[in-house]
Amino acid sequence: MIKAIIIDDERNSRDIIALMLERYCPNVEVLALANDCAEGIVKIKEYQPDLVFLDLEMPDGTGFEVLQGLDDINFEAIFVTAFEKKFVHTIRFSEVELILKPIDKESLLQAVNTVQQRISGQVSKQRYKVLMENFLQGRQEHWQLVLPSATSEIMTTMDEILYLEAGQEQCIFHLRKGAPVTVERPFRYYLDLLGNMPFFQINNTQTVNLKAVLQLSADKTQVVLPNNIRLDMTDRRRKEFMSKWK
Amino acid sequence: MNRIIALLTYLLVAGQLQASPMAASDTLALDLSAPPAQLDLRPYIFSFDDAGYTLVSSKLPLELFIKNPRIFHPDTLYNNHTHNVWMYLRIRNTASVTGHVTVFAGWHDQMEWYAQDGINPPQHLMTTGFMVDNSKDRWHHYGFLAEVPGGATRTFYLRILNRNLAEHALMPVAFNDLTLAHFEQNKQVFYQHQAVFILVLLGMLLIFLITAIINYIQLPDRSYLYFAAYILGLIFYFALRLDNKPYQLSWFYPWPSLKYYWDVPALLFCFYFMYLLFGNAFLNLRERFPFLERVFKVVSFLIVCITLVCVGFIAQGFYHISYRLYGYVFLASLLPSISVFIILTRRSKHHPLIRFFVFGAVSLNASSLYAFTTHLGENGFYSGTAQLTTPSYIIVVGMLLQAMFFLAGLSYRNKLVHQERTKTQEMLIKQLNKNKELQRKLNEQLEELVKEQTTEILRKKQELEEQRKIQSDFEYGKKLAEIELKAIRAQINPHFIFNCLNSIQLFVMQRDFELAQKYLSDFSYLIRKTLDFSRRNFIALTDEITYLNTYLGLEKMRFEHKMEFEIQVDPDLAIAELEVPSMLLQPYVENAVKHGMNNSFQPIGHLMISFRQTAADVLECTIEDNGIGIEKTKALRTLPKSHQSSGMEISFNRAELLNKMFNTGIQIEIIDKATQDQQHSGTMVRVLIPQL
Repeated sequence: MIKAIIIDDERNSRDIIALMLERYCPNVEVLALANDCAEGIVKIKEYQPDLVFLDLEMPDGTGFEVLQGLDDINFEAIFVTAFEKKFVHTIRFSEVELILKPIDKESLLQAVNTVQQRISGQVSKQRYKVLMENFLQGRQEHWQLVLPSATSEIMTTMDEILYLEAGQEQCIFHLRKGAPVTVERPFRYYLDLLGNMPFFQINNTQTVNLKAVLQLSADKTQVVLPNNIRLDMTDRRRKEFMSKWK
Repeated sequence: MNRIIALLTYLLVAGQLQASPMAASDTLALDLSAPPAQLDLRPYIFSFDDAGYTLVSSKLPLELFIKNPRIFHPDTLYNNHTHNVWMYLRIRNTASVTGHVTVFAGWHDQMEWYAQDGINPPQHLMTTGFMVDNSKDRWHHYGFLAEVPGGATRTFYLRILNRNLAEHALMPVAFNDLTLAHFEQNKQVFYQHQAVFILVLLGMLLIFLITAIINYIQLPDRSYLYFAAYILGLIFYFALRLDNKPYQLSWFYPWPSLKYYWDVPALLFCFYFMYLLFGNAFLNLRERFPFLERVFKVVSFLIVCITLVCVGFIAQGFYHISYRLYGYVFLASLLPSISVFIILTRRSKHHPLIRFFVFGAVSLNASSLYAFTTHLGENGFYSGTAQLTTPSYIIVVGMLLQAMFFLAGLSYRNKLVHQERTKTQEMLIKQLNKNKELQRKLNEQLEELVKEQTTEILRKKQELEEQRKIQSDFEYGKKLAEIELKAIRAQINPHFIFNCLNSIQLFVMQRDFELAQKYLSDFSYLIRKTLDFSRRNFIALTDEITYLNTYLGLEKMRFEHKMEFEIQVDPDLAIAELEVPSMLLQPYVENAVKHGMNNSFQPIGHLMISFRQTAADVLECTIEDNGIGIEKTKALRTLPKSHQSSGMEISFNRAELLNKMFNTGIQIEIIDKATQDQQHSGTMVRVLIPQL
C-alpha cells in the first residue's frame, strides 16, 4: 500500500482527490488531509507518507514552501493545480508529477503509476533537489533539466546541451560530455518546454543550443558546434537564425 | 525811304544853291571873314576817278584832275565796283584875316582830307568814314575844316573811297559854322526817325526771341533754337544797321567793319541757312518728306559755302561782290522756293504747320520780290539787289510777317504737342488706372489663392490630426483590447475556474446534483457576464454589484466558513444610472478574498464592499478586508518577483488608460489599515470614479 497525504486549502479539492483515489487507486491509502502549508508539514512529519498530493496555491504559501519546510524529502510528490502556468515549467524540468484540476481519471492513474514505479524501484529523490533549486533560481537559463532515460535519470544544465534530435517518439540529447541521451518523450514536448530558452530549430529534426554554436560554415549552410559537430541548416531558417544568434 | 528823304533834302538844298550865283573858276574866292551860309562846291571841284589806285597822297599830279560833274549825284548810287575818287578844291581867302568853311561831301565808306600850301606836299588833316572811323564823335568828322589864312590860297584834297555797292549821295557843300550846326541838327532829327524805327523793330524781334526761348524751355525742340538763332541774327543785323545812322545811338562803333561782315552773310544766315534748318526741324521733314529734307540740307550746305565765300570777299575788300552774290542767290532761289511752297501747300491739308511755314516764307519772298522788281528800273539788277540788302521797308514788313508766322506756327505746334501730351497723359492715366485695376484683380486672385491654399493646408493639417487621433485612438484601443484580454484572464482566474469546475465535479461524483446545478449556473452566469463586460468600457453599477455578488458567492462556496462578505450600497445611489468601468473592481475583490483569509488572528476572512457618493458626481467604492495588510503581505512574500500576481497591476493600468482615453479621472488608493489602527489590520482599496 502506498501511504498518501493530501494538502489543499479547498475542501472540495481534497474531497475529490480522496474520492477518486478511493475509487480508482485501491493501492493508495489516504492517511491524512491538510488545508494549508503549515498543517501539511506537520502531517508529513507525523505520518511519513510515501506520496503527497500537493496543491500549489494556498493562503499561507505554495506547495514549494511545504517542500522547503522539510529537512529531507523521502517521499514522492504529485502537484495538483487548477492553473498555475508559471510553475508548470519548473515542475516539468525536474520530472516531478503534476495533475490539473479538474482531475481526470487517466492523468491521475498515470501519475500514481509513475510514482508507484519510482517507489518500488527505489529511484533517487534527486529530482526534488533539482525542483527546489530551479524554484529558487530565478533565471531560467541556469535551471537544471532531468532527463529520464530508459536506464537512469541524468541531470544536466542548459550549457551542457549541444543539440536535440528527434527520434521515433523519442528525443535524443547530445551533450558536451558523454554519450547522447535518449528520452522517451516526443521531440515536440521539449520544443515546448525549452520554448523560452535560447534554443533554435535549424531543421525539421534538430534544435541547437544557440549558446553552444561556435560558428557557421563558410557557405552558411551548416552550424558548427563543439566536438566538431556540423549540422545542416535549411535555407528558410537561416535568416531567423542570424537574427537570434549573438 | 531814307533815300527819298535824303533826296528831298538835297533837292531843297540844291534849290537854295541854285538861287545863288555860281562863278565857274579854278579857285574859289571867298571872304572867309564872313563865309557864306552854304555854298555848292560842285563847280569848283576837280576830280580824278582813280580806279587803278595809282595816286598816293604825297604825289597828286594836278593835270589828272578834271571837272567832271557826273561824279556827283544827289541820290544813292549803286556801283558795280569800288569807287575810288580824288578831288581837289582851291580856296582863296579874300579877307585879310584867317577864316574857314566846313566842307561836307556826304556819308561815305572812307574819306581822307588833305591840305596843300604852295608847293609843299599835301598835309593829311583827317580820315573818316563808315569803314574806318571808330571815334566817339565820328559824326562830326564828316564836315572837313577848310581853313585859309587871310589873302592866301590853299588847295584841299579829298579822297572818297566807296567799296560798297551803294554809294551815298555825293554833293560837296561848304557850310559856315552856323549852317553846319543847323545841318547837323537837321540830320540828327532826320535819322532819329530811322533809328527809332530800327529800335522798335529790335524790340519786336527781342520779344520774338524771348518767346522762342520761353517756348524752348517749355518744350525743348530744335526748331525753337533755329528760330531763336534766326531772330538773333536779325537782331544783330538791325543793331548793326544803327551804326550807319548819323548822330544816333550805336553799340558797335568801336568795330566799324563788323557791320559789313554781318551784312550779306547775316541775310544768308537768317533767310537761307537758319530758314532751311528751321523748316527742316519745324516740319519734321526727316519723317514726312525725306527728299525735301535732303534738298534742304544740301542747299543749306551750299549757303554756308556761299557765306564763307562772301566773308572771304569782304575780307579782301570786295564788298560789292558779296552783294552781287546775294542777288544771284535770291534770284536762283526764287523758282525752287516757289516749287517747294507748292509741294508743301499740296500737303498742307494733312499738316497745318506747313501753312504757317509757307505763309511766312511767302510773305518774305513776296515782299523781297516786290522790292526787287520795283527798283529794277533805276539801276538794273544792282539797285534791286541793294533793296534786298538795305533792306527796304516792305521787306522788313515781310520779314516781320514771316517771323510772326513762324512764331505762330511754333505756338500752334506747341498747342498740338500740348494736346498730344495731354492726350498721352490721359491715356497714361487710363492705362495706369487699368493697371491698378488689373493689379487689384491680381491681388484679389492671389489672396484668394493664398486663402484657398491656407484652407487646404489647414484642412490637411486637420486631416492629419484626425488621422493621428484615429491612429492614437486605434493604438489606445489596441492597448485597451490587450489589457481587456489580460483583464479577462486575470478576472476569470484560471485557478478559480478550474477550482470551480473541480467543485462541480465533486458534487456530481457525490451525486449532490442540486448543489452542482446551482454551482454550475452561478459559474455560467459569471463567465457570461465576464465575456459580456469585457467588450464594454463602462457598465451600470447595478450590474457590477450583481456580478460581484455572484463571484463572492462562488468564492464563499469554495472556502465555506473561512470567509464572509458584505456589499453595502448607499440607498440614495441611483445604481441603475451610475456607471463604473467594467472589470476594474474584480481583481481588487479577488485579492481581498485571497489575503483576507491569511490572517491567523482572524479565523474568518471578512470582506466588505461599499458604494457611496462622496462629492457630487463622484462615486466611491471601497474594498476592505481584515487580512494582515498589504505591507506585511509584501514582506512575507518569499516568491521570486516573476511569480507575483499581476491582477491589481492590470487594473491600475486599465484605469490609467481609461483616464487617458475618456478623461474619467479615476483614482485608486491602496491603504494599509494597520498604519492607521494597529487593532484592525487589513487592506482597504479606495476607487474614486467621477461620473461624467
